[in-house]
Amino acid sequence: MSTPDRRQLLHASAGGAAALFLAPSFELLHPAIVGAPLTLAVIGAGRQGRAILGELATIPEATVVAVCDTDDSRLQSAVRRAQGLKGYASHKELLEKEPGIAAVVIATPTHLHRAIALDCIAAGKHVYCETPLAHTVEDTAAIAAAAKGSSKVFAGGYQGRSNPVYSLARSFFKAGTLRQLSHLRAQDHKKTSWRTSGSTPERDKELNWHLDGDISLGLAGEKGSHQLDVFHHFLGRYPVSVRGEGELRLHKDGRTVADTILLDLRFDDGLRANYSSTLCNSYEGRYELIGGEMALIKLGWTHGWMFKEADAPTQGWEVYANRQQYHNDSGITLIADATKLAAQGKLTEGVGLPYTSLYYALADFVKAASEGKAPACSASEAARSTVVGILANQAVKSGSEVAIDPALLESL
Amino acid sequence: MDVRSQDAHGLEGLRAERGVLRLATRAMGTRFELVLACEDEPRARAAGEEALERIEQCDARYSVFTSSSLIARANRDASERPVKLDPELFELLQRCQSLCAESDGAFDVAIGPLMRALGFRGQRIDAPRGSSSGSFELDATTRSVRFTRPDTQLDLGSIAKGHALDLAAAVLRERGVDRALLHGGTSSVIALGTPPDHAEGWRVRIGPDGAFEACLRDSALSVSAPRGRTADFGGHTIGHILDPRTGRPVPLGLRAAVVAPSAEAADAWSTAALVLHARGRPLHLHRPADQSWLIEDEGVEPQFWGSRGSFAPHSGLQASHR
Repeated sequence: MSTPDRRQLLHASAGGAAALFLAPSFELLHPAIVGAPLTLAVIGAGRQGRAILGELATIPEATVVAVCDTDDSRLQSAVRRAQGLKGYASHKELLEKEPGIAAVVIATPTHLHRAIALDCIAAGKHVYCETPLAHTVEDTAAIAAAAKGSSKVFAGGYQGRSNPVYSLARSFFKAGTLRQLSHLRAQDHKKTSWRTSGSTPERDKELNWHLDGDISLGLAGEKGSHQLDVFHHFLGRYPVSVRGEGELRLHKDGRTVADTILLDLRFDDGLRANYSSTLCNSYEGRYELIGGEMALIKLGWTHGWMFKEADAPTQGWEVYANRQQYHNDSGITLIADATKLAAQGKLTEGVGLPYTSLYYALADFVKAASEGKAPACSASEAARSTVVGILANQAVKSGSEVAIDPALLESL
Repeated sequence: MDVRSQDAHGLEGLRAERGVLRLATRAMGTRFELVLACEDEPRARAAGEEALERIEQCDARYSVFTSSSLIARANRDASERPVKLDPELFELLQRCQSLCAESDGAFDVAIGPLMRALGFRGQRIDAPRGSSSGSFELDATTRSVRFTRPDTQLDLGSIAKGHALDLAAAVLRERGVDRALLHGGTSSVIALGTPPDHAEGWRVRIGPDGAFEACLRDSALSVSAPRGRTADFGGHTIGHILDPRTGRPVPLGLRAAVVAPSAEAADAWSTAALVLHARGRPLHLHRPADQSWLIEDEGVEPQFWGSRGSFAPHSGLQASHR
């Protein structure tokens, strides 16, 4: 890094609490995949299925050959968007007529995962299954057991485990930068009806499964489990109980799931994780916080920061840090490999991830399946966070505390 | 240009009506707004949210300001190796190449370095040498883009909003919505069907005090004016619309309005029309047959190309544009 570059970087480094910007190494940022292209099919062409198709189309080592959806208009829409894609109305038909497919990505409604995942595993496919894995503990355990009995790769869709920003933050966490943990907090706030409009009103009920309290895991499971998994991943342990509350504040359209929830999860050492999710307001969006004696890590999907306490020791890499202003806190933004980035003139152009979080998750799966390696999110890890999500949803529905049995999680 | 919601005759009036829903989102550095006529509000809201989500996805994929966008990926790597694109962006870039040829280089998405040199895209860089056009190539077999000049940077600023509006309108149609008006960044607007109470179409005023309005029915309008965004360059105020061949900004007093079947075409051609006009080119040589153009210049009579009926003297409003 030349002197002027460094001066430029440190220009805004006035005092205050320190927010270290966390960015991963160049190698992590540019996932290289070797081996033959992997042929895939995507099962489920709803919003997530379409997003997955879009990302897979940009991964050179992946070739999507087929897509499957029970809704014909969605299926045709997906087939239209990608050239040469074959469409099937059921996963059974797909497995029968496309025996050459090596891997599948399952992005159907949660309560339909079990049958599809088990059939795909039995057919000898590598499987990437969106998370939560299932809507009941029994289904989750069945998927986990089948995955463990398979010689193929099974990856769960908790993206925090493959996201390079999260991996880098975790390395700071594991190095003890925070010291004694104080609290965990996460939120997902977005103003949206969370509703899907089908081609006919009759199709609406089927497509809006996540608004049906009988089969949906609600905000706690469908959104919360993704963020709670980040805590599980960082800490390497799970909460032992969860309390929850939920209200229908805004979207009174006949749905039977809350549009605003709060969770309070307790770990065995007394550490607490608070989680808030609402569909009524977008302020501050989605993030996870991990607070400790010496610093707090804030993770925001494509970005990560560290806010250091004034009495925290200064570390060598801080000279390469950018700084950002957060309301009353000004701080450093840190980018790993800052020297290399600065030499290429790329440091001041924006410091977010070069690929989307979903891209990293899918690229990790493609790499794992191609090379026969373990994926970033294993079946057991996905199953455990799914079960925490299921129990958290039970807590929201009952308004009372629900125990999370460590033996149950261990068995998955 | 602005679909001014505060206008007494504007969209605000529509909100009070039964069966009309307004939704909005922030994307591409601006605000997209959607007005739709509906009988079943929850279904219409869901369809509208999906349409706006499509726009947010376009922003995430095409913004030069988002490091994880496909365009940022291409700008980072395509001078070193081919970058694989999704079918949607690949086909959009194919159309951009055609537009560049048809407009004699007046429309060019390889304008990124020029925009940055003039201070419209964050940190200023040195101006590139020579023409910026024709500096990327597309390979259909690998569905990839590769830059043929190392300083190439793609910038979809003159087409992305229109493209996103077309995709959002397609989502609405797929969901059974047949009466809606969507505008993006107050410079591009697309109309589905007609408003509930105006059988002829959605009337949209061009300019806050403009003398003309367009009546849209399953068609789109885009207005380009250098005054929409300006920067200081060497003590002079310059507008954000540049001739890609020369890097010269078009005169500040110009305004072009284009009515076209798609918002993407209207968006791209409203920029190109200004550049061609500033070059002194005969516009009839370039205008696609299915479009109507209006060019306004300070102190000069407005000029029309195509269907004169597309632009009427301004009267009562559905929505007004600044």
